Amino acid sequence: MPNNLHRNSGYNDLTSEPSICLQVSSLSAGYGRSQILKDVSFCAKQGGITGLLGPNGCGKTTLLRALCRQLPFTGSCLLNGRPLEQMTSRQLARQISYIPQRSGIAISMPVIDVVLMGFNPVLCLLEQPSRAQKEKARGALRAVGMEASAEQDYQTLSEGQKQLCILARTIVEDASLLLLDEPESSLDFPHRHRIMELLTEIIRGQDLSCANCDVSSTAINEATHNVSANTSNPNAHRFSNTSGDTARNTLSGSSSDQQTLFPRKAALVTLHDPQLALEYCSRLVLLKDGVCTAILHPATDSLPDMEAALSEVYGPIRLRAFEENGRRSLILLPRG
Amino acid sequence: MRTEQKQNAKQNTRPAPYLSALLLLAACAVSLLAGKYPLSLEKILAGDAMQLQVLLTLRIPRTLMAVLGGFALGAAGFVFQTVFRNPLAAPDMIGVSSGASAGAAFAILFLPASAAAVTLSAFAGGLLAVGIALGLASAAGGYGARRNPAAGSGSIVLAGIAVHSLAQTFLMVLKLTADPERQLASIEYWIMGSLNAITLGRIPFYCAVCVIGLTGLFLLHRQIILLSVDEAEARMLGVPVGRMRLLILLLATLVVASVISVTGVISFIGLLAPHIARLLTRDNRLRTLLLSGLLGGILLTAADILARTAAASELPVSIFTSLLGAPFLLYLIMNGNGGGRHAE
Repeated sequence: MPNNLHRNSGYNDLTSEPSICLQVSSLSAGYGRSQILKDVSFCAKQGGITGLLGPNGCGKTTLLRALCRQLPFTGSCLLNGRPLEQMTSRQLARQISYIPQRSGIAISMPVIDVVLMGFNPVLCLLEQPSRAQKEKARGALRAVGMEASAEQDYQTLSEGQKQLCILARTIVEDASLLLLDEPESSLDFPHRHRIMELLTEIIRGQDLSCANCDVSSTAINEATHNVSANTSNPNAHRFSNTSGDTARNTLSGSSSDQQTLFPRKAALVTLHDPQLALEYCSRLVLLKDGVCTAILHPATDSLPDMEAALSEVYGPIRLRAFEENGRRSLILLPRG
Repeated sequence: MRTEQKQNAKQNTRPAPYLSALLLLAACAVSLLAGKYPLSLEKILAGDAMQLQVLLTLRIPRTLMAVLGGFALGAAGFVFQTVFRNPLAAPDMIGVSSGASAGAAFAILFLPASAAAVTLSAFAGGLLAVGIALGLASAAGGYGARRNPAAGSGSIVLAGIAVHSLAQTFLMVLKLTADPERQLASIEYWIMGSLNAITLGRIPFYCAVCVIGLTGLFLLHRQIILLSVDEAEARMLGVPVGRMRLLILLLATLVVASVISVTGVISFIGLLAPHIARLLTRDNRLRTLLLSGLLGGILLTAADILARTAAASELPVSIFTSLLGAPFLLYLIMNGNGGGRHAE
């Protein structure tokens, strides 16, 4: 239903227009003869989390796999303006960081080694990670609060800690597009929010791994602009809707004067939990039976519109909103 | 507290490679002196011609081959287990060893007698075995693009069992065609695995092939570890999974084939050594690969010493490696986790 695709085309949730990181146009993909995704179009912008929502089997994972070029697809996918199919695997690995539902690390290894894997796309075949890279990996572990476990066996970690460790790997990978496949599915409540908060910080370009790296002056300018927008009360928006263009600083609020930023990234996340999606995503792509039924902007779209769109995917639901610190939070309830 | 204990355990395992290197040297010393014709240090130093002769032409080549062969089997076992993501995927479990021995037996019977022909034929046999095992496993859904997590990495071991019996059948056919007067006994004895037939002249070629393969594996250690990650994830970490797996399997098979074409099938070392190494280090860093090799060397040297001293006539070395290996395999199965390797 193409007339539904951009039912809220007049959105204006971003003060300065961030550039498009991923542009997907009429993408179709599937396994063998069975076509699962049909004519899906959307874009993911820098500095925001784009959520993919839908019931099981609607094609969320298929979409991510197609973007990782593990499935043949038709249609066009532009990553930073370049067609995906024109890139070499190595270029793709440098630009995209993929975080599976559960990392498939099957053998014992120290946590720091898992993080160091993130440097593989920039290392030569026989090259070993340098001292600076090891330092950076430790910084990334510090950023996710896992520095004390650096030498611990990855297999002995809890699921939540494993995901944090994989996020640290994503930080060192420094890719421009992050693809996450249901990162919250096996996590408990605090870890879910921790992961999504960290993800928000990563894509907003806060360089979490080291405070004194060299970055281009344009990035710093952009950084100061973003940080100054919202440093007055760093913890005010914990667990809150993060759409819009404000940079939060929940993680390292004390060191904001030293904050240096990388150019910003975009994230495309499939999520099981629509509540979590409404809280953290600046843009939601709703999928049903392989078709994109709507694209929502939780910060600005009207409640009835979103309620109707979500009901179409999840069955009848109610959406309630409340204001806190001047921003709207949304609660999803079953229609009782 | 818990992490403190972990760190203590870590520090305790740090000298493991050095200790096992020392142990290996000790085993070498025993291996050089022990045997049907006992050597003594004093007589050798005194310049006894017979003693020197035995040392140079028999003991040194034999010890060298035991150390290198054990090292190669241990290290290759580590590589196969890691790349196949399965703690049981040692070379003799997934059919590489039996494939290589069938190839070598084929060369002994039908090809002109040369070291290169035997090694190449063993290599081809080993590769064929790996190829068939991989093909069967991916048909069962264990590998490749359509990897089905439910099928798991266990399928490579099942496929290996099938390949193993296939290779055994081929060997049986070869034995039927062999000349019972001259060839049959030698093939039979060689299959049982022994370091008896080693002479100085045969050593350099096999050693060179083996060392080249091992060097490649040690250099590619980081990639081997990356291959232990899920295929999709590894690919997005920039690993050319298909090509890299092929290259590493080629090198590991070459290493195994070069050993097997001299010694015959030596069972369980490729399973045992990496497991002990992992239990000792609990990581999979380069030192674990090194330790797998060193422990393999110790095991084979020790087994070989027993093989030539335990009874009046020389015994096949596999008897002793199996005596060690079979209970250990049982322990692995009962523990169900392959020495802490698998999270599931």
